[in-house]
Amino acid sequence: MGVGLSHSLCRLGKIAGCIHRGKLSMNTVLKSGTAMVLALTLAGQTSAQTMLTELGEGEGQVNIVAWPGYLERGETDKSFDWITDFEEKTGCKVAIKNANTSDEMVALMNEGGFDLVTASGDASLRMVAGKRVQPINIDLIPSWSTVDERLKEAPWHFVDGTHYGVPYMWGPNVLMYSTEVFDEAPTSWDVVFKPMDLPDGQPNEGRVQAYDGPIHIADAANYLMHNQPDLGITSPYELNEDQYAAALDLLRGQRKLVGRYWHDAFIQIDDFKNEGMAASGTWPFQVNLLKGGGAPVASTIPVEGATGWADSTMMHSEAENPNCSYMWMEHSLASNLQSDLSVWFGANPAVPTACTDGRGMQTAEGCTTNGMDDFERVKFWTTPVSTCESQGTCVPYYRWVSDYIGVIGGR
Amino acid sequence: MSSSVDTQARGFLTSLSDTLWRKPGLLVFLLILPPALWLGIIYLGSLFALLAQSFFSIDEFTGIIQYELTFKTYAELFRPSNFDIIIRTVVMSAAVTIAAAIIGFPVAYYAARYARGKWKALFYLGVMMPLWSSYLVKVYSWKLILAKEGILNWLFETLHLGWLLNAYLSIPIIGGNSLSVSATGTFLVFLYVWLPFMILPVQAALERVPQSMLEASGDLGAHPAQTFRHVLLPLALPGVIAGSIFTFSLTLGDYIIPQIVGSSRRFIGQAVYAYQGTAGNIPLAAAFAVVPILLMAVYLWIAKRQGAFDAL
Amino acid sequence: MTSAIGFSGVSRHYGDVKAVDNLNLDIAEGEFFAMLGPSGSGKTTSLRLIAGFERPTAGEIRIFGQVAQGIPPYKRNVNTVFQDYALFPHLNVRDNVAYGLMIAGTPKRQRQKSADEALGMVALGGYGDRKPSELSGGQRQRVALARALVNKPKALLLDEPLGALDLKLREQMQEELKTLQRSLGITFIFVTHDQGEALSMADRVAVFNNGQIVQIGAPEDIYYRPKTPFVADFVGSSNVLPPEFMNGLVGKSSYGAVRPEAVRLAEQGQSALVRSVSFLGAATRVTMDIGNVPMTMLMPKGAAVPKAGETVTVDWAAEDLHVMAPA
Repeated sequence: MGVGLSHSLCRLGKIAGCIHRGKLSMNTVLKSGTAMVLALTLAGQTSAQTMLTELGEGEGQVNIVAWPGYLERGETDKSFDWITDFEEKTGCKVAIKNANTSDEMVALMNEGGFDLVTASGDASLRMVAGKRVQPINIDLIPSWSTVDERLKEAPWHFVDGTHYGVPYMWGPNVLMYSTEVFDEAPTSWDVVFKPMDLPDGQPNEGRVQAYDGPIHIADAANYLMHNQPDLGITSPYELNEDQYAAALDLLRGQRKLVGRYWHDAFIQIDDFKNEGMAASGTWPFQVNLLKGGGAPVASTIPVEGATGWADSTMMHSEAENPNCSYMWMEHSLASNLQSDLSVWFGANPAVPTACTDGRGMQTAEGCTTNGMDDFERVKFWTTPVSTCESQGTCVPYYRWVSDYIGVIGGR
Repeated sequence: MSSSVDTQARGFLTSLSDTLWRKPGLLVFLLILPPALWLGIIYLGSLFALLAQSFFSIDEFTGIIQYELTFKTYAELFRPSNFDIIIRTVVMSAAVTIAAAIIGFPVAYYAARYARGKWKALFYLGVMMPLWSSYLVKVYSWKLILAKEGILNWLFETLHLGWLLNAYLSIPIIGGNSLSVSATGTFLVFLYVWLPFMILPVQAALERVPQSMLEASGDLGAHPAQTFRHVLLPLALPGVIAGSIFTFSLTLGDYIIPQIVGSSRRFIGQAVYAYQGTAGNIPLAAAFAVVPILLMAVYLWIAKRQGAFDAL
Repeated sequence: MTSAIGFSGVSRHYGDVKAVDNLNLDIAEGEFFAMLGPSGSGKTTSLRLIAGFERPTAGEIRIFGQVAQGIPPYKRNVNTVFQDYALFPHLNVRDNVAYGLMIAGTPKRQRQKSADEALGMVALGGYGDRKPSELSGGQRQRVALARALVNKPKALLLDEPLGALDLKLREQMQEELKTLQRSLGITFIFVTHDQGEALSMADRVAVFNNGQIVQIGAPEDIYYRPKTPFVADFVGSSNVLPPEFMNGLVGKSSYGAVRPEAVRLAEQGQSALVRSVSFLGAATRVTMDIGNVPMTMLMPKGAAVPKAGETVTVDWAAEDLHVMAPA
């Protein structure tokens, strides 16, 4: 489970940090006059970029930058192996470089020497903008057709009609609750946002947790989007000053309810065991582990929906092993990877049939637990930028970072 | 022939050692060159690289570091949310240091003045043992001890003193829902983890105070409290200062403990970690990292002005 | 003369070790009193008992008539000059000297004035701003003296105060201490292992051995009329004559002592075999054996000196032979 821990740690890393750069750079560009030219140049370059049209012999190797736990060859746990098979079949040796944050991923890709990266929503757009990744020819990936329809043209890898990535794995941030406190699943996120008495008659103050990263502002915005429609929020990642202020106010109220914000998945697990926690936003990962340990918890996605994350496999613009890379992308969709990884990390496969066709350990129930059916209710996070689609001007991510630190500090 | 070569070789070594003997400065120079290089280039060099970073700034839109000298990043430290972090960290470090001195001094005094033989060995064992176990293990065990369903809470309940603990925890700022999520909890764990770093230097300083010095003070009419105030404390002060440098700077820089135990309110170490790691804002992280250095410099300067090093 | 310090039946035992054993002693006010003995003889412990750093395991100590039992050092009207001086390294010389006055609550200006006066008295005027570490051994010794004296104690305890000084400085300080004691008129109790120092300075000397006083008296008494062979040997290296020898000499079975300088070559007397001859400058020391009794003779400069291996005849004046009480 150590792998799970490090992955959870990195996930918080990528949420907290990495959003910062990608889209922001485009902003600057669009804002300033001279930038228009630059933008055109960028566009020109993008289209000029070559795309592989035909698959050749494998080069014997493929170098992948990945989140810890995303690439398992049975060394952590014998039953979780989705590499050995690939290497035997294709003769492409897989060299893994783990990265703990999206920033690290971007930095490694900037350095070069890698073929593939399992990029999250923020990093993916940054790398597209920075021309670090090349367009993907989906015709060379036979299993593309099996990819979840909902992910095929997701905005975090499908830019201007071009595919830059192959969906890898996604998951929602669910509401975990103690079944000793709640007789039935809470229907609203208000149990973690508003002071109230919980079904066991005790106040929720000190018994709820929230995520210790600026992206949690989006969870507040998601709550307001549903409960205060007059604010006019259309995306929790695109907030104008008023909407943003309302979200921060909500979070300031939440500060009074939260004893400690959760940062590390295992500390949260411990808190649910030893601190009498009643409810918190969390990942399916913790829910699975706690349930596995016999703790009285369950999870739900309340009426407001939830935020979530989605990762894609992307290919370096100067990849030295393009053939093995394409073979890996095909493998990532066609093999037991989708099924077993979704069990391993408590996430959802990008190929829906992986839930049911018995290629791995995942089952339909498992996918349901991990939130497979709630895709429409998940707002996958993207980088908050100042020029936003929905309303022109939004509060950018760097302010989310400093303001959230202030909120936790009681400001 | 061979004997002449031999003589020549010996002649060279002899003349080398003769030269070094005649010029002791050269020998010293050769001896300190490697450590000086290490200290100068690797050690201080990396520090200056860090300092240099803090005078750059990050472009808010592109997130790219702009390599132009500016104080903009330092100005950001004075934003209320950042300044809170500095104040919080300093107050915590000061509280931990003072408490460590108050608790550590008698322990060190006992060890230095009374403990002999196996008791002394036991003392060293007791003080050092916490240092042998993993830091993380200690912090996690403290999390369990301080938890709402932990030993300490149970103890209070068993003694029918639960109301006392609850009354304490209801105090704003230092309180919380349980000790483990309160600033008090963070304080206790800091104190536990850094206490040996206070005790050992104080004990060393106390052992260097001759018994006759204390007797002389008593002989001149000072009762024990006065002897402590006017002789023992000033003479042990370099040890206390050395210990406080450890406890203060270790608390200033730590980012693990407040993450595991406490109210999630940030400390400088966490800010540095967050800004350099996940936010990629190296300049602001560097500026935050400069804060403890400046604080320690000011602290040492004040300590020197107060005569803390006069007895060295 | 009133009693300054009185010991009656005082013992200080550490387990089986009897550091001080059943000590009885009276030191008069204004007296310059020396406690002389080899190391481990109990003299320093006795001094520390007076200062209050040690507590007696039996007996009673009176300080100026007051029973000292239960009175801590800081309430005793005596001050000590320590063997290592124990100057406070963090204070300058003036503050060191003014320490006792500061503790007593004397206003700053006044105590600094007193401290400067005391420093003047020990010829260290103008050294007030220095740190102890900047002074020589002799200067530190005098600072320690000034620090004790500025409190105007009724008795001053000095624990081997000149031990760390070189010979010349020691002789000079002996003079100065003596003069100081005379002019101040306070009781000095002085611990030393150097019999020359004790004899030259003290009004009275107590010779310690194995935790007990073996002889107490004026320097001349101690020197010329040792009561025991130990005193005879320790104070001035007298020739100790065993009872059997004395029996043959004076017909009395007790120890005798004759000082080396009293022994001379003679026509008639004891036949002695010269073992060695050492030139000492002002005199020559000849060691020899009379039968099996070792004997040392100091010969003045210019006298004809026998050679090792020679047999000579020695004698001494009857009044130079000190006969001790029967053993």
